[in-house]
Amino acid sequence: MNIQEYISSGIVESCVLGLAGEAERVEFEQMCALHTEVRAARDAFELSIEQQALAGAVAPPVPLRETILQQLAAETVPETIRSAPVVQMRPIRRSAVPVTMRYVAAAAVILLAGSALLNIYYFNKYRDYNQRYDQLLALQTQLAKNNNAMQTRMSNYEQTIRGLTNPYMARVTMEGKDVPDNGSPDPGSVATVLWDTRTKDVYLMVNNLPMPETGKQYQLWAIVDNQPVDAGMLDMSHGHMMVKMKNIPRAQLFAITLEQQGGSVSPKGPMYVMGKV
Amino acid sequence: MGITLTYTEQELVSLLRNRDNKAYAYLYDNYASALYSIVLQIVNDAELANDVLQEVFVNIWRRMEQYDMSKGRLFTWMMNIARNAAIDTLRSKGYQNSRKNQSIQENVDTIRVTDVLQPGVDTIGLRKVLEKLKAEQRVLIELAYFKGYTHEEIAELEKLPLGTVKTRIRNALVQLREYLK
Repeated sequence: MNIQEYISSGIVESCVLGLAGEAERVEFEQMCALHTEVRAARDAFELSIEQQALAGAVAPPVPLRETILQQLAAETVPETIRSAPVVQMRPIRRSAVPVTMRYVAAAAVILLAGSALLNIYYFNKYRDYNQRYDQLLALQTQLAKNNNAMQTRMSNYEQTIRGLTNPYMARVTMEGKDVPDNGSPDPGSVATVLWDTRTKDVYLMVNNLPMPETGKQYQLWAIVDNQPVDAGMLDMSHGHMMVKMKNIPRAQLFAITLEQQGGSVSPKGPMYVMGKV
Repeated sequence: MGITLTYTEQELVSLLRNRDNKAYAYLYDNYASALYSIVLQIVNDAELANDVLQEVFVNIWRRMEQYDMSKGRLFTWMMNIARNAAIDTLRSKGYQNSRKNQSIQENVDTIRVTDVLQPGVDTIGLRKVLEKLKAEQRVLIELAYFKGYTHEEIAELEKLPLGTVKTRIRNALVQLREYLK
């Protein structure tokens, strides 16, 4: 059959408006699938019917909208397949679950994303706080060290003051100029021995001594019956504080010589200061 | 209110198949009036039309899977649902009861006198275009489209050969198409 004749036979309108018989309708669907012209004619008529219907539309009563939409919202998903009852049940279950699951899945995704963001946020915060904690810890250690040093110095000063104010403390001033034959390498040197007359403990306080070169150390000697007795090594890091030396029961003179690091059994180096008891 | 959504027909169909409430609201807002006028042209009773429109939307909702885009536009499919629902209602108990003693012939006479000439409804939709047809064509379209009679039933009613009925209806439809352009 000629396609144009077929199109203009009224079959298009008959089928679109639902007036055609079953056989005609099936044939028309086949023709639509086979011939674009038939399809185009169908589309055109459908569109004009739709436009005509929209143009001639009559608004239904306003409250009807809510009634209908509410009824649709309350509808359960239909049974789409009629033949097998077992199959009928499936679409209901399959569709019923996804509706809830879709919300659950959406919620889960949102929660996951939120959680990931929070993780990043809190990790950064954690790192920041960790760094600050380390800094504080270092600062605290430093402060504790300083505090210890200060306390040591403080107790040294206290000891020095106690020694100086102790009425039983004998005071022997040793001077560079008292060294025989002007033998002191530094005649301006001064050091003081404080000697507890009861306990016989000897304390040394440096007033003025040149810093020894490395590998050298000052050594205090007590001269007992013209024999030098080791009274202890001097650590210059104590500054001008009173430092406890050895216990010397008896002595006529005190002197300081510069010796090898660690001291000597008998004085070998030059004598810097000397003082009579 | 918010944003006015527009969908392509494909998007809309897919959302309707998913039973998306918003899509049905959109469908209602855009097509309820057009469908209502189709229903009204057939049942010719506002209260009855309200019930039919409700049924139409429920049917669209339930049968969405059956809609096949390759076989025609969504509106065409909905329009046929509306027409069928309206005709079914018309044929249901209320209509039948009030006219149960009338023969089909008398029934057709009643249509001619009351329905076709009823003011108001005549001025909307297809009926308005129908006015332009010849009386003999108009009656056939009235019976076939608005009353839902088969060609065989019409042939019997109008005492015409089946072939003549078919030809006249086809010719009337071709003219209708021209008027719609």
